[in-house]
Amino acid sequence: MNARVVDSIIRKDVFEFSRNRFLVFITILVLVVWVVVFWLLPSNVDETVRIGVVHTGLDPLLAGLQGDDSVGVGLEAYSTEDELRAAVEEGRDDIVAGIAFPADFLDATAAGETPTVQLLVPAGLSSEQRLLLSGIVTETAYAIAGTAPPVDPTTEAIILGTDRIGAQIALQDQMRPLVLVLVLMVETFALASLVAIEVQERTVVAVLATPARVNDFLAAKGIFGTALAFIEVTLLGLLIGAFAVNAPVIIVTLLLGAVLVTGFGLFSGAFGRDFLGTLFIAFFFMIPLMIPAMGALFPGSTATWIKVLPTYGLVEALVGVTVDGESWAEVTPVLLLLAAWGAGAFVVGAYALRRRVATL
Amino acid sequence: MTTPAIDVSDIEFSYGDVRAVDGVSFTVGAGEILGFLGPNGAGKSTTIKMLTGQLQPGAGSIEMLGMNMPGEREQIQARMGVCFEEKNLYLSMTGRENLQFFAKLFDIKDFDAAELLRRVGLHARMDDRVSEYSKGMRQRLMMARALVNTPDLLLLDEPTDGLDPVSAIAIRDLIREEAGRGAAVLLTTHDMHEADSLSNRVAFINQGQVLAIDTPDDLKLEHGERTVRVRSRAGDGVAEQVIALDEQGSADRVREAVAVDGLMTIHTEEATLEDVFVKYAGRGLAG
Repeated sequence: MNARVVDSIIRKDVFEFSRNRFLVFITILVLVVWVVVFWLLPSNVDETVRIGVVHTGLDPLLAGLQGDDSVGVGLEAYSTEDELRAAVEEGRDDIVAGIAFPADFLDATAAGETPTVQLLVPAGLSSEQRLLLSGIVTETAYAIAGTAPPVDPTTEAIILGTDRIGAQIALQDQMRPLVLVLVLMVETFALASLVAIEVQERTVVAVLATPARVNDFLAAKGIFGTALAFIEVTLLGLLIGAFAVNAPVIIVTLLLGAVLVTGFGLFSGAFGRDFLGTLFIAFFFMIPLMIPAMGALFPGSTATWIKVLPTYGLVEALVGVTVDGESWAEVTPVLLLLAAWGAGAFVVGAYALRRRVATL
Repeated sequence: MTTPAIDVSDIEFSYGDVRAVDGVSFTVGAGEILGFLGPNGAGKSTTIKMLTGQLQPGAGSIEMLGMNMPGEREQIQARMGVCFEEKNLYLSMTGRENLQFFAKLFDIKDFDAAELLRRVGLHARMDDRVSEYSKGMRQRLMMARALVNTPDLLLLDEPTDGLDPVSAIAIRDLIREEAGRGAAVLLTTHDMHEADSLSNRVAFINQGQVLAIDTPDDLKLEHGERTVRVRSRAGDGVAEQVIALDEQGSADRVREAVAVDGLMTIHTEEATLEDVFVKYAGRGLAG
């Protein structure tokens, strides 16, 4: 490989990229949009469930309930059932449901009767949440009657994993890995476009009629694509505070991610016959590659098939470090997985481009 | 005897089952222009691609500047200039930037792009993007790019195809200058006039085979028909005699024809390369 030739091709690619208004626009747009969207997202989680209540003589009891932080229930008082009903229907005051105690609730309870308490729930409320509200009503009734529930088992919560009570993951934090991966994916298209133009215009044929070899060409494209993706995602990372925890691991992760998307960019560029063809192939890869990042938004067990997607290691490492504060040792297995996928994608992409160039 | 700059021996190449080049042999000396004349699909561009190293011959050998292609491809390409049939220029870059990029690939220090662009008549537009160039301007830039490394070998694939007469003349002048400097030039074309006016020798190629190689004059003399057409007044009308110069006694017949009273015009006619090509190939150069 000839370093001088590789350097010349990279400089030319940078120059061409800077002259391509569409690619520059897309690159800047994606950066700006995601930074703005990121900072508009909620940065904390309100763990309190707000419930509207029509109260008639229950004020001291309800006040006590509101003051208990561990309950996680916030009560919003309404003077009439109609007001509460309207608030639930219109989703006002952030209440998820309403409880309308009848005016004779205290008297009926004291007399040993069974009053009917109305639960006002929006149509979309799940059956589990309705059950929870029923429980609150029952608890309240026992408290008012001054009697203990017939059964009061002692419960002990065993937290598997990180206890997030009081420290829930904000949407902003959940979105951070997704945003980083998304921007890497967009650079797949940018590189693919530049490669496709070189192939379609057959300028690569002219380059290879000089002392430049096809390996020089492939190396230049690989370095340029990796650098382009890495610089942009690093810039984005700085702007959304992705390096606050364990920055070296994040940098290595993003670099491996840049290598991975470069491989896909080379492949897409090699087979794109025109702009739309390149766009189609790039999106063909981008959609499945985004799935692990989407999955990170919905914590829980990961389906096995998602674990075999090339970006799984990338997302796992980013989530592990930025959300859970994991160390080198903890993310090394997924980083190795990512490195293997990156190397594989790069080799396949370079091979595809080499084959394509040979047919020109 | 000096070693030819290009020595091609019995090369073959097939696209699948289609034999595109079938045992082609020729040589080109330093300072010589060899015109590769044939219709579209005859195998001219495939031969050029084997010489540039884009394709590897299935059989035969290619020696250029005493080196083997593709074995010593890098050393050969450092001394080779290629003008491709397709206008494969970087459209988003200016004419000057295109040449400077290729000068870097050839590792040419102190490259003067402006001077080279002046030679091809693009000096005034050298800082315009190539996307704004006309077809003729792009072709002239292609030619300039082929000269970036002051090559000893020039491979020109249809360098004037589709150009306006002014641009075509400018490019032909450049080709002559380069041959005058000592470069060996292989010129593929299906334009018989271009081949005739530029080439020291012409090779006819058809269906992947070289049918004949010689100087244009010798090809025309050997295989064409030379005639003298004499027109004179005859009463109220015009008499015309066509005398074939290759027949016996033709000189006497010409003398008799021009000695008549009322001589009007004398035309000499010779065969064109196309006529000769038709004799060899059984078809014309078009298509």
